[in-house]
Amino acid sequence: MTDLHQYTPGHAFGAQIRKDGEEKWTLILVRQLRHSPEKVWQALTDPAQLREWAPFDADGSLGAAGNKVKLTTVGAPALHVTETKVTRADAPEVLEYNWGDHSMRWELEASGDGTRLTLWTNIGRSFIAMGAAGWHIAFDVLDRLLSGNPMGRFVGPEARKFGGFQRLIGEYAKQFAIETTNQPPDADRK
Amino acid sequence: MKIKLTSVFVDDQEKALRFYRDVLGFAKKADFSQGPYRWLTVASPEEPEGTELQLALNNNPAAKTYQEAIFQQNQPAANFITDNIKCDYERIKSLGAVFTMPPTDVTGATITMLNDTCGNLIQLTRLTRW
Repeated sequence: MTDLHQYTPGHAFGAQIRKDGEEKWTLILVRQLRHSPEKVWQALTDPAQLREWAPFDADGSLGAAGNKVKLTTVGAPALHVTETKVTRADAPEVLEYNWGDHSMRWELEASGDGTRLTLWTNIGRSFIAMGAAGWHIAFDVLDRLLSGNPMGRFVGPEARKFGGFQRLIGEYAKQFAIETTNQPPDADRK
Repeated sequence: MKIKLTSVFVDDQEKALRFYRDVLGFAKKADFSQGPYRWLTVASPEEPEGTELQLALNNNPAAKTYQEAIFQQNQPAANFITDNIKCDYERIKSLGAVFTMPPTDVTGATITMLNDTCGNLIQLTRLTRW
């Protein structure tokens, strides 16, 4: 298993933001993965695979519409559990559910030898760059997991202090032309 | 074992930051978000490595009921200690905060109470005998 010390994320790419209302923003992320939509679908819905790359744990499958699943945020200083309901699960193409008050829409499209994966998720404006950077790295972790080279998921205080993450936040903020109103996390800690 | 963190429930974390940082004068310490979760804490500039106050989003119906009930009873949700209560009172009042009790002498202390705009009353205390 590789770890964060041997990993350097690439530069910011494949992200857009869309303003949907006064306070409502949507982050749109696109990633080309070298794996089939069926395989990617499993990684998006199976709790055992989600545990290897996603920023939350699921206590059941996200793979069927109507499923009620508890999502637990990992790497946070306090236990944070939200109940989610899968509202759409058209395997292996479209998956929709909520994560707390965030909507999640995944689209999987066969493309070349693999899958073009798109995520739409709403997010607070001041955290858009942090969210884009977090998902960027999560998709790297996912890609390696599916290639049989898992590196372990990217969560918790160590991950937040990781230089590559901080650089990506800056790059996405620049790309989106927003100021990160929030300081880099833990920046003022010694 | 140490007490490193305490928390207050707030109905809006941005609004809470405006009150606890911009009005009370605490400094933002931690602020990160993962999905719907936001971990936000402030600390006193007099004690930057001291106890952190977590501004926790109150989206729990049971906690809301409790918060509203103690607010109705004029019970503070948190209590901060100051050496100069008159000065803090004037400063915070000039920033637009609404006090529900002016500085008042009680046994062993002077206390004052204000609304944090996020669903809580906050008490400031100067201990005269401890």
